[in-house]
Amino acid sequence: MFAKTAVVFVPQCTQVRGMATLKDIRMRLKSVTNIQKITKSMKMVSAAKYAKAERELGPARSYGQGAQTFFEQAEIKQDSEKPNHLAVAMTSDRGLCGGVHSSVVKMIKHTLAEKKPGTQTKMIIIGDKAKAMLQKIYGGDILLSFNEIGKKPPVFADAAKIATEILDLDYNYDYANLYFNTFKSVVAYRTTEAPIFSLANMTQGTKLNLYDSLDDQVLRSYNEFALVSTVYFALKEAACSEQSSRMTAMDSASKNAGEMIDKLTLTFNRTRQAVITKELIEIISGAAAL
Amino acid sequence: MSFWRQAGLSYIQFSAVCARAVRQALKPELREKALVRDQSFIKSTKWADGKPSKRVTNTNMNT
Repeated sequence: MFAKTAVVFVPQCTQVRGMATLKDIRMRLKSVTNIQKITKSMKMVSAAKYAKAERELGPARSYGQGAQTFFEQAEIKQDSEKPNHLAVAMTSDRGLCGGVHSSVVKMIKHTLAEKKPGTQTKMIIIGDKAKAMLQKIYGGDILLSFNEIGKKPPVFADAAKIATEILDLDYNYDYANLYFNTFKSVVAYRTTEAPIFSLANMTQGTKLNLYDSLDDQVLRSYNEFALVSTVYFALKEAACSEQSSRMTAMDSASKNAGEMIDKLTLTFNRTRQAVITKELIEIISGAAAL
Repeated sequence: MSFWRQAGLSYIQFSAVCARAVRQALKPELREKALVRDQSFIKSTKWADGKPSKRVTNTNMNT
């Protein structure tokens, strides 16, 4: 009576070592080889993009450094005690590039945790990656987001768009920072913060008299230009470190896939041997029984 | 006050217009390369109350 409901033997896990049939291993081997092909070609693509980005980084650096030197020389500072803060996250839309985007987000989260009570921080997000990571927790603080970044190398017009949007904000910030990755070498980048000065902060510089014939109009124009230069510099640095990081990430991915292929080939050959041996034993013992 | 400021442009917009004029004035073989640098595909989205609201595809940079 219970025969119909008798337990049918179902293997708990078909992937147990030694249990896998030759066909399983062959299929897995094929898929890993395909993955390796993809990561290898992604590495080649990002290597070419990285070379271009690094070539363009040199000229772009002078924009950012020029602006930063002016602020240092004129001793323009921003006061973190004031209530209205702004954080700009510089990432891109593309993933598969190691930890470049999450290290920017991590740095922002870290600085937010250390802010004094009584201050509020609004955010501007550049790139979909930071948006995905920040909108759940800080959704209400986001003022602006930008996307379609990272498909093509950044140009000055991109920076101009971002800077214009930042200038047009309704939010009067006293303390603003831009968070981005600075390119160090092929294997290293550093997450840095660069201050963004509002016009009110800029006119309070203590050593502005170092510079000749400065009036409000010139300062206002230079403030705008300094903002767009800083954004351009950050875009270029971020693009270069992203590509270099993607290159290393894809390189290690292909290496790991290679190791996996070696292991799988070994298992495949062993299993094949085992099957042959088993069949031989069956034939021989069958013959011996006769 | 400079004329472009009176017209409501910021320095960024003013310099973008100047840059475009210079690019247009280049010799044809150089112009093609330079015009590529003028193209920007970035899209911006304004957020209100924790939600993305209005999508601004082209800011006034491309006027």
